[in-house]
Amino acid sequence: MNDAVPFEQAQRELERIVSELEGGRASLEDAVALWERGDELYRYCLGKLESAEGKIEELGARIEEARP
Amino acid sequence: MKVEHQLHGDRKVYTVSAFNRGVASWLTRLPTIWVEGEVTEFRRQDRWQSVFFTLKDPRDGSCLPVSMPRSGFDALRLELVDGTTVHVFGRPELFAARGEFRLRALTIEPLGLGALLAGIEQLKRRLAGEGLFASARKRPLPLFPRRIALVTGNEAAAKRDFVTAVTARFPAAQIVIAQTYVQGPRAAPALTTALADIVREPGVDVVVLTRGGGSFEDLLPFSDERLVRAVTGCPVPVVSAVGHEQDTPLCDLAADARASTPTAAARLVVPDEGELRERLRALRARLDRAPLLLVERKRAALDSLAGRLRTLSHQSTLARGYAIVRTDTGIVRTAAAVAPGDRIDVELAEGALAARVEETRG
Repeated sequence: MNDAVPFEQAQRELERIVSELEGGRASLEDAVALWERGDELYRYCLGKLESAEGKIEELGARIEEARP
Repeated sequence: MKVEHQLHGDRKVYTVSAFNRGVASWLTRLPTIWVEGEVTEFRRQDRWQSVFFTLKDPRDGSCLPVSMPRSGFDALRLELVDGTTVHVFGRPELFAARGEFRLRALTIEPLGLGALLAGIEQLKRRLAGEGLFASARKRPLPLFPRRIALVTGNEAAAKRDFVTAVTARFPAAQIVIAQTYVQGPRAAPALTTALADIVREPGVDVVVLTRGGGSFEDLLPFSDERLVRAVTGCPVPVVSAVGHEQDTPLCDLAADARASTPTAAARLVVPDEGELRERLRALRARLDRAPLLLVERKRAALDSLAGRLRTLSHQSTLARGYAIVRTDTGIVRTAAAVAPGDRIDVELAEGALAARVEETRG
C-alpha cells in the first residue's frame, strides 16, 4: 500500500469497510475482497503506529540567520 | 522669498542652491500635521544636532525620513526602538544642503494603550470584512500529523509544556521548533518569517503558534496585520495558543483552531496513542467477526427461503388429506381418462397405493 496515504484516511476507509461488511448487503464475492482490503488497511495503520519514531528538532539557528 | 535666477537668452535658470531654497521656502507654507508610522533606522549621536529615523507605513512599506532637534528629542525621554508605532507632529521640509525631503518633528508620541486598542479594533473590523476570520475558512486539523511545527519564544515554559503534552499523548510525534522573538517591535516580522520558513520544512502538516501569558503590549505582535495574514495564508492549518484564556489576539481569530494553553494545543494536534490503538483493535475485532456474521445472515436467509419453498410444494397439500392419482401416462385429472379395470397409483402424504378402477362416473 502506498506509504503516502495519511493514517486517518486509511482508518476511515477501514471503518467504512467494517460497517459495510456488518451491514450484510455485500455479496459473498465482494465480502471476501472487502475483508482483504480491510485486513490490509488494518496492517497499514498498525504499521504507521509502530514504525513512527519520535523526533524533536530545533530550527532556531536557521531562523536567526534568515532574519534581516 | 525671492529666488534669484540668471537669464540665458530668454531661459530662466536657477542654481541648485536657489532651487532647493525656493522649494524649501514653498514647503514652509504647508501646515503642521500628525503622521502615524513605525520607527525604523533610528539614529542618534551626542555630537549631532538632530536625531534621525525613518517612519514606515506597515501596510505598504512607504517610508518618510524624519528628523528632530536632539535637545527636543532627549527632553521627551522616549525609548524609541525600531518597530515602535508612533505619532509624529511636524511639518514637511527640504534639507536644502542635500535636497532631501523629510518631516521635521516637533514632538513624538508613542501610541498609548487606548490608541493601540482602537487600532486593533479597527484592524479587526477591516480583516473581518475581508472574511479572514470566517468559520468557513477554518481547516480541519490532521488526526495524525506527520510533523508538527512549533513557533515559540525562547521562554522555556510554553515550549516545554507543549512538547511534554505531545510526547505523553503520542510518543512517536515528530516536532520541529522555531524559536523567535515573541514580544517587542521585532516580534511581528520575526514571527511572520519564522512561520513562512517552518512550513517549508518537509512533512510539516500543522503549525502551532504559542506564547505564554503577558501584558496587553506583550501580546501586540500577535495582532499584527502581517502575522494575521501569514496565518490565514499558511498552506497548512494553524493552531494559535497565545496568552491566557481571556486574551484574544487577532491571530487567534485567524487561526484554524484556538487553544487556551500550550497543553490544550497539544491535545488538538496529536491523537492519544492509547486511544488510537484501542480504536484499531476494536476495528480489527469487528472486521474478523464480520465474515461469520455475513455467512450466518446468508444462511438464515437461505433457511427462510427453504421454508417458504416447502409450503409451496405438493407435500403440504397431501398432508391436508389430498391424494395424487397417476397412471402410466401421467396424472389423472378427469374420470374419462381411465376405464374400469385400469391400474392406478395413488400417492398419499405417507406412502402410496396400487389400485384398480372399479367404475367411472361423470
